[in-house]
Amino acid sequence: MLRILVTRLGWMVLTFWVVYTLTFMLMHAVPGGPFDSERRVSEEIKRNLEAKYNLDKPWIEQYLLMLEGIVLRGDFGPSIRLSDYSVNEVIAQGFPVSAALGIFAMVFALSLGLSAGVLSAMFRGSLLDLSFRVLATLGIAVPNFVLASVAVILFSFVLQWFPSAGWGSLKQIVLPALCLGAPFAGYIARLTRTGMLEVLGQDYIRTAYAKGLSTRQVVLKHALRGAMLPVVSYLGPATAAILTGSLVLEKIFALPGMGSHFVEAALQRDYPMAMGMVMVYTGLLFVMNTLVDISYGIIDPRVDME
Amino acid sequence: MNIADNQQNNRDEYSRLLSEVQKIRGISIWRDVWMRIRKNGAAMLSLAFLLVLGLVAFLAPVLPLQSPQYQDMVKRQLLAPNVSQISLYKTSVAEYQRELDLLYERSRKWSEYASISRLYDDVAKTRTIWIEARDEIDHRFSNQSVETSEILQSDNSVPNRVQRYFEQFKAKRIQLQEQVSRSSDGQNILKLKETIESWEANHPIHALWSNSGTLTRWMLECRLRFVGDWCIPSVLGTDNLGRDVLSRVIWGARISLIVGIVATLVSLVIGVSYGAISGYCGGWVDALMMRIVDVIYSVPFIFVVIFMITIVKEEQLASWLKSHGIDQITVFFLMIGAIYWLTMARVVRGQVISLKQEPFVDAARVVGASRIRIVFQHLVPNVMGVVIVYLTLTIPQVMRFEAFLSFLGLGVEPPAVSWGLLVNEGIQVITPVRTYWWLVVYPGIALALTLFGLSFLGDGLRDAFDPRMKNK
Amino acid sequence: MSNRIRKSYPLFLLLMIVMGLGYAVNLGQLEPAEFTFNNGAEIKTVDPALATGAPEGRIINGLFEGLLRNLPSTDKAEANGTVPMRPATQGMAESYSVSEDGTVYTFHIRQNVLWSNGDPFTAHDMEWSWMRMLHPETASEYVYQLYYVKGADRYNKGELNTGDRVEIELANRANAQQLFPRGTIRRGVFSKIGYWNPDTKIITDTAPESGISWTKVFFVDVFPEKNGQVRWDATPRAMAYVMHNASKGNLPEMIEGRPVETCHHVLVDFKSSVGILAIDDQTFRVQLKSRTTYFPDLVAFYPLYPVHRPTIEKYGSPGWTKPGNLVCNGPFLLQFRRIRDRLRMIKNARYWNAKQVELNSIDALSVQSETTSLNMYVNGQIDWSTTVPNMVIPDLRKRDDFKSAPMLTTYFYRFNVNRKPLDQVRVRRALNMAIDKKKIVEQVTKAGNVPARSFVPPGIDNYNSARGDIFDVSKARQLLAEAGFPGGRNFPAIRILFNTSDMHKDIAQVIQQDWKEHLGVNVQLENYEWRTFLATLSQKDYEVARSGWIGDYPDPNTFLDMFVTDGANNQTNWSNARYDELIEQAKFEPDYQKRLGLLTEAEQILMDEQPIIPIYFYVSKNLVQPHILGFSSNVQDVHPLHILKIDNQQFSTRDQ
Repeated sequence: MLRILVTRLGWMVLTFWVVYTLTFMLMHAVPGGPFDSERRVSEEIKRNLEAKYNLDKPWIEQYLLMLEGIVLRGDFGPSIRLSDYSVNEVIAQGFPVSAALGIFAMVFALSLGLSAGVLSAMFRGSLLDLSFRVLATLGIAVPNFVLASVAVILFSFVLQWFPSAGWGSLKQIVLPALCLGAPFAGYIARLTRTGMLEVLGQDYIRTAYAKGLSTRQVVLKHALRGAMLPVVSYLGPATAAILTGSLVLEKIFALPGMGSHFVEAALQRDYPMAMGMVMVYTGLLFVMNTLVDISYGIIDPRVDME
Repeated sequence: MNIADNQQNNRDEYSRLLSEVQKIRGISIWRDVWMRIRKNGAAMLSLAFLLVLGLVAFLAPVLPLQSPQYQDMVKRQLLAPNVSQISLYKTSVAEYQRELDLLYERSRKWSEYASISRLYDDVAKTRTIWIEARDEIDHRFSNQSVETSEILQSDNSVPNRVQRYFEQFKAKRIQLQEQVSRSSDGQNILKLKETIESWEANHPIHALWSNSGTLTRWMLECRLRFVGDWCIPSVLGTDNLGRDVLSRVIWGARISLIVGIVATLVSLVIGVSYGAISGYCGGWVDALMMRIVDVIYSVPFIFVVIFMITIVKEEQLASWLKSHGIDQITVFFLMIGAIYWLTMARVVRGQVISLKQEPFVDAARVVGASRIRIVFQHLVPNVMGVVIVYLTLTIPQVMRFEAFLSFLGLGVEPPAVSWGLLVNEGIQVITPVRTYWWLVVYPGIALALTLFGLSFLGDGLRDAFDPRMKNK
Repeated sequence: MSNRIRKSYPLFLLLMIVMGLGYAVNLGQLEPAEFTFNNGAEIKTVDPALATGAPEGRIINGLFEGLLRNLPSTDKAEANGTVPMRPATQGMAESYSVSEDGTVYTFHIRQNVLWSNGDPFTAHDMEWSWMRMLHPETASEYVYQLYYVKGADRYNKGELNTGDRVEIELANRANAQQLFPRGTIRRGVFSKIGYWNPDTKIITDTAPESGISWTKVFFVDVFPEKNGQVRWDATPRAMAYVMHNASKGNLPEMIEGRPVETCHHVLVDFKSSVGILAIDDQTFRVQLKSRTTYFPDLVAFYPLYPVHRPTIEKYGSPGWTKPGNLVCNGPFLLQFRRIRDRLRMIKNARYWNAKQVELNSIDALSVQSETTSLNMYVNGQIDWSTTVPNMVIPDLRKRDDFKSAPMLTTYFYRFNVNRKPLDQVRVRRALNMAIDKKKIVEQVTKAGNVPARSFVPPGIDNYNSARGDIFDVSKARQLLAEAGFPGGRNFPAIRILFNTSDMHKDIAQVIQQDWKEHLGVNVQLENYEWRTFLATLSQKDYEVARSGWIGDYPDPNTFLDMFVTDGANNQTNWSNARYDELIEQAKFEPDYQKRLGLLTEAEQILMDEQPIIPIYFYVSKNLVQPHILGFSSNVQDVHPLHILKIDNQQFSTRDQ
């Protein structure tokens, strides 16, 4: 176990370095800079600005300076766009929001998706199965911004249950979390159903039935474990997508999460911010993927961890 | 019964058995799948729907649709869906036709006077006349009752005009080409060719259907020739620039479907081979390959996309690509495909890891199958079920990614339309103050139905592929 | 894998979920502010010298106060619904006087005005704040607003001439990364710049070719100081200075007999060369280069607001802008900030006019989506939305709470006049005349915008805008034919560039169709993401590009000086000697009306040559709840928060 973790850590460092280098090169290769604006500043002022953020130095020096800041001080430097803040502060404020929203969405997606998927598979071909599948497909098919717009009109204007936007209370999390989780719930339901059907045809399930176990026991103790595999493998990328891909929802519901920082930093060429976001994203993904791999080993004893 | 007899009997028996066995034809897996999927009602319905949709999308240019980009903000802006327009429409057509014929006659005379040597002026004049004719029609109808002119304007006017002009155009082009073939003077040929080029640039179809490709244009010509200028009125309403929603939805299907399918196929090919090899090899190869996936995963695709699109738009490169027949949309497909193979690779790897410890793999190994053979002959078919489910999940993802890119302004460019673009435009007008529902509902339904179809077809396929479901 | 780990794994997942729930529940309910508005975007900074946009302006106008303050000049609205804003002596200055030639402004600071921490506000604060803004290391983008002041641009750009009095900041700062507190300042007379080549150990007067590493050396004769006063009559000491971060490889201790010291900056001496001076605590004098009639407007513009020196020297930048650290002098204090969520301001009891301020707390939300903003407004979550989606404007215009008024902003298209065939004036005019601008404002923007015939928007006192061509299809066709493109034949493929936005796209499509229909000219649309768009524009890699311009101050000059030859914001390659001359003349013309006449003449040249197509003038689009009083529209779309009031009676009836 320890060995795995150490190896993983080694890979993580390498991944960080590769991602850092790639991101740095991409960022500087894309046309436009952080100080371009419709109201163009004179060359002198632009020089002053660039000097302030070390952008006047040669690339290689910028590369090393930024790397040094990250490695030695864990500091991504000041944000160019939000100049009152350092990138670290922005991450510190945005991450919990995204994380809370993401966890809510994930809990919703998992509980709904798993139970719907299991039920669907057990009553395959029934009306229940059909309606779950329709719902799941609806969740996947309707882009979440359409879902969000409709939900706002319905829940905050027609029914007046939830506020239409904003962040701060539990009530304000509900709508965005539902909209964010809906497509994932759909995916999970489908994956569970597929996995479940696959597993239910296996011999060991027949054995379990033959032992005289009840359907409930068979499904929950034996079948679900095998059916979870595709779901688990989907959770890694899904978590990252939830954390960053919620840009649209953050916009519609005016949430102060990380997703909008991520895309805006790219669009506004806020180099340190973009780098910070990319690195957080990388780290998260890495952690999630490691968790997924470990989960694989735990759920499926056949998988050899080494 | 003697021994010989017995032997004889046995031999007969064996040969009978043999001939019987020889009669049995192995059924190919595809035939098998087809036979089983035929029994699945939902899947067949979905398949039929998708085929019809694909056909409609492909045939959009020959369908009697309005131009998806013709704008008329004065008379057609944000018209609600209205079926009753159809009847009104019919009554006014005849009258309108007469008017147009008259004007057309006038413009035709001009071209008769024009001689080949004065071709340049002639082209300009014909065009000017055409424009004047249109202005005159506009003027003539502007005094009529709002209702009639609205209908005329909305449903018939431009295609009708175009057809007239189009015929004229065709004749002129043939004339020009004849000139080229008859002429021996190199200078003259060059000049004539230039003229033809400029003619082409001013082709009336460009005015209404943008700079469409050769096939599309040919189809449009067919449509104008055979179906004529009649077109379906705006039964699904019009958008804020007065464009017909119905035709935009159908034309949008072309791009959305192609993006979805092509990008997914790209991701399928890369993802399945990569994942299968990684999962089967295991050990350091697996670790390395998966880490590479992790690394690519962690690269912010939004940067890659911005990067690629800006590079593709760079003038020199753009013209180079164009000369090689690659347009921006192609790059788009490849890019999206290159992003989405990662999940596929992971899923396949996970499945292969579980599967490779199954006895049938050992059996294959014992028989002496090569690694490549084991992976692609034995493992890959076994993961096809999950892969197909993933495929039906990926297509919607790709379609939504396309919408997301449109949202950021990195998607398809106007005047091209895609469902993502339409839904995005529609979403802007869902407000508590005023909702133009038809702008989001129709493209939304189109998108949702397609994805529904894909999903049910995917389920059906999965069941059909699964050998364990056989005879159940 | 041990069983224990296997068993505890679900528990671990559960723990994560519980933690997330715990965090979310812990958020608690935030007491709503008395007045909440949507500021549109997360502000870049609350530092006046570094801020640039309108959202920043709203906040800084609440937190800080300049010498003068822009306030509605009357109670009565003009015909177009605007109440003109004028720089009033309702700020830190009680009164001001202008010298006869219009170049010296003397401001008299109010007695007993305090910073929010109780420190007295003096003229020295103004002097220091403007010095900070001008300092190159501050890197202020709006610094050119101070270039009207004598010597200011030279200080900012670091220009040096032989014989200039200069200030040298030695490299002995406590924190080299922070500009303040500064290192020891020496003053002297600049003699020359030399270039030291560490390899050959030779110093030259001109910069060596690139590729050779060299160090810039400043030769200065430093004068001694006594009691803080420089003794310019004493014998100077010859010194050589190099930048603290320059590569000092093999730099000798003496160069040409001068001791070498490291420094941060060598700039013209602020005290003696820049026309900004605090005469005493209450008197602040500014010496301009030439008469600038709109200088009071600039003084009332937020980048020129003062900042608190001890705070900045203590916390550095951006530390001083943190809630809790920030010391300000405006009607409100900064209570807290949540990035991309809200900024809370509360009433400043030490504000000189605090008894006139009625609002006790204000929330500025940073909701970017216009639709979301509208939702929140309709829901009653916000009291003022600074923008609305275009599609609903026709519905909103019938309502009383929708306040729309012309703005000092022009929407226009640029031509790249170096690209054929746009180098021909006739072609540019033809393209302009073929655009039905009325259709654009009535059918696309729908906000009651005015189609533009000139570049300078109406609404500037006494200024008569030039007249450009009107929509005239036959004339346009004729011009295009004269230019050699009858019926659009042979017209090369050109592109319209615009940045991502539905509105820009719609307008571009309308123009595309107008040109196609009326002229037979085919254009392509190209949609660029914002930064790429700007980069493409500044590289002049375009034919036609969308643009917009917001006037900084109510004077035609803010629009017209854009298009002088090689102006930073010209970007069209267009150049006209007469135009440049007129703009330059207008700068120095003492007579106000005559000056405006010169500017009209210049604008007429712009309209005749048409390197741009003005399309329409913007209008402001504010939604303000009926119970908010004191809100009035103006051409700058500036709305001071401290004059707003809540009509409690109306507010309570609304809830019933």
